Amino acid sequence: MLKKSVLLLALAGLSLSALAAELRVMTHSSFSLPKDRIAEFEKQNGVKLSIIKGGDAGEMLNKLILTRANPIADVVYGIDNTLIAKASAAGILAPTSSKVGRTEKDAVLPGAVAVDYGYVTLNYDKAWFAKAKLPLPATLDDLAKPAYKDLLVVENPATSSTGLAFMLATIADRGEDGAFKWWEKVRDNGLKVSKGWSEAYYTDFSRNGGSRPIVVSYASSPAAEVFYSKEKISESPTANLLLKGGVFLQVEGVALLKGGKEPQAAQAFVDFLRSDGVQTGLQTKMWMYPAVAGTVIDPVFAHAQKPAKFSNPSLAAMNSKTAAWVSRWNRLVVKQAN
Amino acid sequence: MNRYRTLPALLPLAFLLLMVAAPLARLLQEGHAGFNLALLQDSYIQWRLAWSLGQALATCALALFIGLPMAWVLARFDFAGRRLLLRLLMLPFVMPTLVAGMGVLALFGPHGVAGINLQDTPWLLLYGNLFYNLPLLVRAGVDGLEQVPASRLAVARTLGASPWRTFWRVEWPVVRPWLASALCLVFLYCFSGFGLALLLGGQRYATVEVEIYTLVAYELNLADAGVLALLALAVGASVALGYAALERGLARPQRLAPTLRQPAQGWPQRLLLAAALAVLALCCLLPLLAIAWRALQADAAVWAMLATPEVADALANTLRFASAALGLSLLLGLCHGWAAQRWLALRALVFLPFMVSPVCLAFGLLLLYPQYSASVWLLIAAYALLAYPFVAKGVLSAAAALPPQLPQAARTLGATPWRSFYRVSLPLMRPALRRGLAFAAATAVGEFAVSLFLSRPEWATLTTLIYQHLGRPGAANLQLALLLSCLLMLFALLAFVAIEWPEKNHARAD
Repeated sequence: MLKKSVLLLALAGLSLSALAAELRVMTHSSFSLPKDRIAEFEKQNGVKLSIIKGGDAGEMLNKLILTRANPIADVVYGIDNTLIAKASAAGILAPTSSKVGRTEKDAVLPGAVAVDYGYVTLNYDKAWFAKAKLPLPATLDDLAKPAYKDLLVVENPATSSTGLAFMLATIADRGEDGAFKWWEKVRDNGLKVSKGWSEAYYTDFSRNGGSRPIVVSYASSPAAEVFYSKEKISESPTANLLLKGGVFLQVEGVALLKGGKEPQAAQAFVDFLRSDGVQTGLQTKMWMYPAVAGTVIDPVFAHAQKPAKFSNPSLAAMNSKTAAWVSRWNRLVVKQAN
Repeated sequence: MNRYRTLPALLPLAFLLLMVAAPLARLLQEGHAGFNLALLQDSYIQWRLAWSLGQALATCALALFIGLPMAWVLARFDFAGRRLLLRLLMLPFVMPTLVAGMGVLALFGPHGVAGINLQDTPWLLLYGNLFYNLPLLVRAGVDGLEQVPASRLAVARTLGASPWRTFWRVEWPVVRPWLASALCLVFLYCFSGFGLALLLGGQRYATVEVEIYTLVAYELNLADAGVLALLALAVGASVALGYAALERGLARPQRLAPTLRQPAQGWPQRLLLAAALAVLALCCLLPLLAIAWRALQADAAVWAMLATPEVADALANTLRFASAALGLSLLLGLCHGWAAQRWLALRALVFLPFMVSPVCLAFGLLLLYPQYSASVWLLIAAYALLAYPFVAKGVLSAAAALPPQLPQAARTLGATPWRSFYRVSLPLMRPALRRGLAFAAATAVGEFAVSLFLSRPEWATLTTLIYQHLGRPGAANLQLALLLSCLLMLFALLAFVAIEWPEKNHARAD
């Protein structure tokens, strides 16, 4: 009896899976695309898309590395330039390329196909600075001065990829020791550390009830503020504070996973993410710039000043040293040891 | 007789083996090559461990000190809205940490209504801990105090004992086991806490669980994470075993004529009642009110966003997952609670789901069952894992208070053990069972179970939706998240009322 029902169940499972092939796509938790585009892809390729969200990008990558013997997905989207070297070293990615579109010059992501890019940088609360009649800081070093005491909130790089990107920018610009000297000075100048972007933006940023008028966020955030405003506004309440050594270029991409199934559908998905529909649609969904050159940029992005310069460590350095940097950062800033 | 107590244990034991022990063992196996105890000599790690322990103990002491008088007042005085208040007190449990934090800051933040800024002070940290943990203690205290036999109180008074003496000699021994189990839970929550205290008190107050999370999720350093997770498990297990031993020593059957509540009479009693209600409101309800107040100011356009299919789906998912998890929790909780009456270890194991580092559990499950990692069954099992201890705890406390004569009489009259359980013991335990289920429901709609596991967009619950909107900038996202939080509170309140619907023939049940 039991055997019979097990057999029946197995048969039922088989027949279900034969109906439509399933493409398993692992993404980070911020992944979001217009629903009609996804339906269109499923229809065109005769597959069912199973989106699996694996948490923050770093957490997602580690989940993939741990399960490499039995891959839990066929494609991964959301590995960025802080993680790509680690993913390649772990040997979880299959060679991936796409013939769709030409990639923007800066959107470099060896080992994967770039889909979008953006900048982690400082945002400030315009109203706060206007009211305080304080000039904007002109350099990162200004943030260590008494006039700017207790104004900055950053995310902890140990629990937030936003915070990690910002720390990496300071290290690329000043060298490791120089950067940590700066962190020590801002720490002593009343730096606030939050767990993640949401906590920093919604409980510490002065625009949302906190006390800090400067927050580590994205260069696209001022545009999103306009897009998601309650009533139509023509000017963002926040703006970018683009300081030397305080801008990190983040490039996100898609890659096939080793041992994944449905290689054809997987390749089709890679090309799909590079297609004009997705490249246009992702802008106001994920608030990143499209990686394919020539894509029309959504007009709302005019509210966000695009950084001209950025400072990133080399991919190899980010792979080999990030863990040590994060641990040093926490000792210095959170534990306040020297 | 013993057989009927041990057989049910097999189900929860198998569940714990599959859902906790095996995944943890698998994770430890993955990292064991690099185990190095030198890690524990690191002053930074020692500091984190000491802080985790210290703040958990401090919260226990504070919750007991404030919560017990509140519980006494709620158990002894009758007043309009008492039942509703007891339900409302469970709402903090449902609130996503980030939203709760915003509620607290709306009161005591830089632009708070109270006019004083307590952000980043230890005061707000303690307040945050009380917000989540006081309700646990108060509910347990009320339950315990309601078991005190009226006759004993009357005797004590007749013999001229002062109210103070009556409390220590009559009421305290009865309520002690109930408080012990609640305190055990408060300790475990705070010790491995990741939430509000950190948000309000700042990163300096991070617990050892934050360290484990970073090691596993960001650095994939399973060796160091394994050492810390085992240490945390050892601490949690000692506390749970200590509690189990204590409760077994204390539990005694109570008679069935519980003390009745009376309206507060005279100024001193009324003042006492008012003071207790004020403290409770201040600690547990004001932040929720602040959220509701802010949410209600949302613009019409944001209100309209509540009518999207996205929200309807999230509501349906919340209902679906919560009821599936509750069904499983009821079964597991009944079996575990009933079987654990005689076994000390089994009693301590009720708390196992809260002793194990959640991030280690999530990664262990992924390693062990990669093919099921994104299946809805694993998700529901994970929800049930964190919800069922409340049911088991309720059963355990209620079973301890069962008068042994009644089931014995049923057996003498020829009832089978099953029939005696079903017709005699179970109905007597029903109020406690319902209370346990209500807490389990609160856990299942809250954020505890969801954040670390693989998820799918089509599984989005209200809590996931709230976090999604708080993951993007913009006033409309903020307002919608607050409105959704209100919806979540309303939904949870309805669930609590439905679960603890007063029974006709148990007029005092609530």
